[in-house]
Amino acid sequence: MKTLACGAMSALAIAFASSAFAQAPSAGNLEKLSAFKTTGTPLEIPEIPQTGSKAEAIKKTLSRVKMPNGFKISLYAIVPDARHMAVGPTTGVVFVGTRKSKVWAVTDRDKDRVADEVKEFAPSLAMKIPNGVCFSRDGFLYVAEQNRVLVFPAAEFFYESPDVAAFEVVKQGELIPVGEESYNHTARVCRIGADGKLYITLGQPLNVFAPEKMDLYKKTGIGGIVRMTNEGKEREVFAWGVRNSVGMDFNPRDRTLWFTDNQVDGMGDDIPPGEINRADKPGLDFGFPYYGGGKTRTNEYKTAQAPANVVFPQVETVAHAADLGMTFYNGRMFPQRYRGGIFSAQHGSWNRTTPVGARVMFTSLKEDGTADKSEVFAEGWMTENGEYLGRPVDVAQLPDGSILVSDDFAGAIYRISYEGR
Amino acid sequence: MSRRVNLLKSMRRTPRGTNCSARRHVLQISLFCAALLFPPIDAAVAGNAAAGKTKAVKCQACHGLDGISKLPEAPHIAGQPEPYIIKSLRAYRQGTRKDEMMSLVAKQLNNEDIEDIAAYYSAIEFSVKVPQ
Repeated sequence: MKTLACGAMSALAIAFASSAFAQAPSAGNLEKLSAFKTTGTPLEIPEIPQTGSKAEAIKKTLSRVKMPNGFKISLYAIVPDARHMAVGPTTGVVFVGTRKSKVWAVTDRDKDRVADEVKEFAPSLAMKIPNGVCFSRDGFLYVAEQNRVLVFPAAEFFYESPDVAAFEVVKQGELIPVGEESYNHTARVCRIGADGKLYITLGQPLNVFAPEKMDLYKKTGIGGIVRMTNEGKEREVFAWGVRNSVGMDFNPRDRTLWFTDNQVDGMGDDIPPGEINRADKPGLDFGFPYYGGGKTRTNEYKTAQAPANVVFPQVETVAHAADLGMTFYNGRMFPQRYRGGIFSAQHGSWNRTTPVGARVMFTSLKEDGTADKSEVFAEGWMTENGEYLGRPVDVAQLPDGSILVSDDFAGAIYRISYEGR
Repeated sequence: MSRRVNLLKSMRRTPRGTNCSARRHVLQISLFCAALLFPPIDAAVAGNAAAGKTKAVKCQACHGLDGISKLPEAPHIAGQPEPYIIKSLRAYRQGTRKDEMMSLVAKQLNNEDIEDIAAYYSAIEFSVKVPQ
């Protein structure tokens, strides 16, 4: 059974590989698309199968997931390598980033709240770690890759064809210095602020970087969050002292920027804590590399003088649980107590003796806009033996007030709805 | 692997006539010779795949419990040759091979862990289908 499942997965993976092989995007396609010209990419975009043994296996896993009374979880879509999500403001089409080379478009055409089609978005373009996806309120889709940022105006309408209007916001090699490109911590997350600016998280590529890197990283915003106009101008470092943030969202109520941060590895099973932070203004220092998580000092900088004005996290989460994507809940479907709070995903630990995480958390806020309490909202993706059945990455809200949870381990998106009334 | 174990057993049985022969500690010395002959593998201690499956909880987040990569930066290790897994893990532990994640993980493993994990992952069967 195990071997069968394994074989099916590899066959599936190879099927994707061969389809990519058949239509390798040409390097000149971005120029053509920027000029509204066609690229000659075949018009039919292959669909990812949504039924079969894989779907049944995922549904079985979901039957184990526990949530507060009245909530229901179901399989929304099978999406290989599903990472961060952006929901189209008018159609509800979900664009899903990956840490590989594709962005997926997930469409629920008949609005039965289960996706009908999962296709590659903009298959005529070659992308590298297109993890970060975000929409402006007027429907521009931004895709933050490892070292480039693209914008797709009216992505929700152009995406049905392989040729999509596309423009460079940040040219290849200009988001970070090329010498700093790493496979580690280079999955970006983006958001558009109320100021109309584009905010991008830039994880620093190491566990704890060496002092020689300090000046370069401070200047470029590596180990922080940068912001720029929607044309990529006026770039500045918005927040610094962040180790590797892979999740952020603005609180629509007071416009503060909240973000998760993954903390230092190798210090022990129970330290340092993970973080959920709040930036209520630009220029704040969140303490890394002097602090490795919460108020735990890193071994590498133990004797160094830490900055006096470090901002400590609003929430300290369990060590190594890997808090990733987060979203403020503004829907009307869930009970009142969830409105205005934060749903966030814990990917789950990779180096803790006893694994922890693989769940969805909820954090409520106080009247003054600071964090109140964090609690487990949905769990069950880990067996009693510590085996992962799934690893949640991001949480996004659908227009009907239900939430989606992406999972890059199972390669799926789940939908959580409230049916308690 | 099993052939090498047999070879070592036969060496152990006929220690006389080799440089390693000695009246005392024949077993220990022949094992020492074996270690010199086959440095990457403790052939006398075969890994336990069942124990390795439990220990692979430390590996699953990236390599999967099925040995199929779950992260773009991690390789598939299902069916990987056992000696290669042992060699790689030891190199990460010694620091002769470096990686942000593997260097941390390998430090937590003792020799038995490494052998058990290698026995488990190398025992996974897989099939491939090449693009036409």
